[in-house]
Amino acid sequence: MAATGGFVEADNAEAIITRIEHKSRKIESLLKQLKPVEALKTALEGSPPMTRDERCKSANWIVVHRALMAIKDVDGMLSSLDPEYHDILMKYLYRGLSTGDRPTCDQCLRIHEKLTEKAGLGCILRSLADTVNTV
Amino acid sequence: MANTLRLYLTCIRNTLEAAMCLQNFPCQEVERHNKPEVELKTSTELLLNPVLICRNEAEKCLIETSINSLRISLKVKQSDELENILTKKFLRFLSMRAEAFQVLRRKPVQGYDISFLITNYHCEEMQKQKLIDFIVQFMEDIDKEISELKMSVNTRGRLVATEFLKQFI
Repeated sequence: MAATGGFVEADNAEAIITRIEHKSRKIESLLKQLKPVEALKTALEGSPPMTRDERCKSANWIVVHRALMAIKDVDGMLSSLDPEYHDILMKYLYRGLSTGDRPTCDQCLRIHEKLTEKAGLGCILRSLADTVNTV
Repeated sequence: MANTLRLYLTCIRNTLEAAMCLQNFPCQEVERHNKPEVELKTSTELLLNPVLICRNEAEKCLIETSINSLRISLKVKQSDELENILTKKFLRFLSMRAEAFQVLRRKPVQGYDISFLITNYHCEEMQKQKLIDFIVQFMEDIDKEISELKMSVNTRGRLVATEFLKQFI
């Protein structure tokens, strides 16, 4: 069971990475059209749910990071984001905060404050408690 | 500059409010023992994801939670060699008197300057909000304390040097 699971993982990883590359191209074009909110939505959409593969997670993180840094209007972005993406966004924010890179941390801290006001402490707790779907 | 400090402290406060959900949990391996699970890390089902919040390259805060205990480790900003020594000595002074603080850990976690260990017993005796206020206040005050210490060291050094060199005038 575990062996077949691992096998499926390996195949899926390549497929997932190609999908992430498609996503990143789409996001680049959206950013050029000055639509950072759409870009972030696209980045968060196909977040690899069950992958254990570090490469997929890093690849997706790079894409989300690119979209996050392009956001200037945090309030507008949060009001137009669906609530189902709040949890995923919080997980990515914590990943951003752990990098230690100054501009990333500044942006992540800004969004974190607003997101906590909107989504509440439950969002933070879900990102802490979810050990299965990590980003 | 002050804005990032405010955001950093708000983020830590919110994370602590969410993470400080502690309850009594006797040890699973040994009868009649009650240990802070975050220190032992023997059972993964009792631990939550650790969270690292960085303000910049120099300052960070690691928050690790488990079912009955929470560990907060801080790395304080140290811009030069003198601040390095002052921080180390000052925080060592505080850590040695950890009994008086109750929530302080005697040795900081590897890679950090100071650590706090909060258990469910602390949460039962003391108010959760007050504990969080204490930690955040501590973080604000530590920067002021270190700069005050640095200033007093420089002032004393200047006075001593002036006095000493007067004899050569």
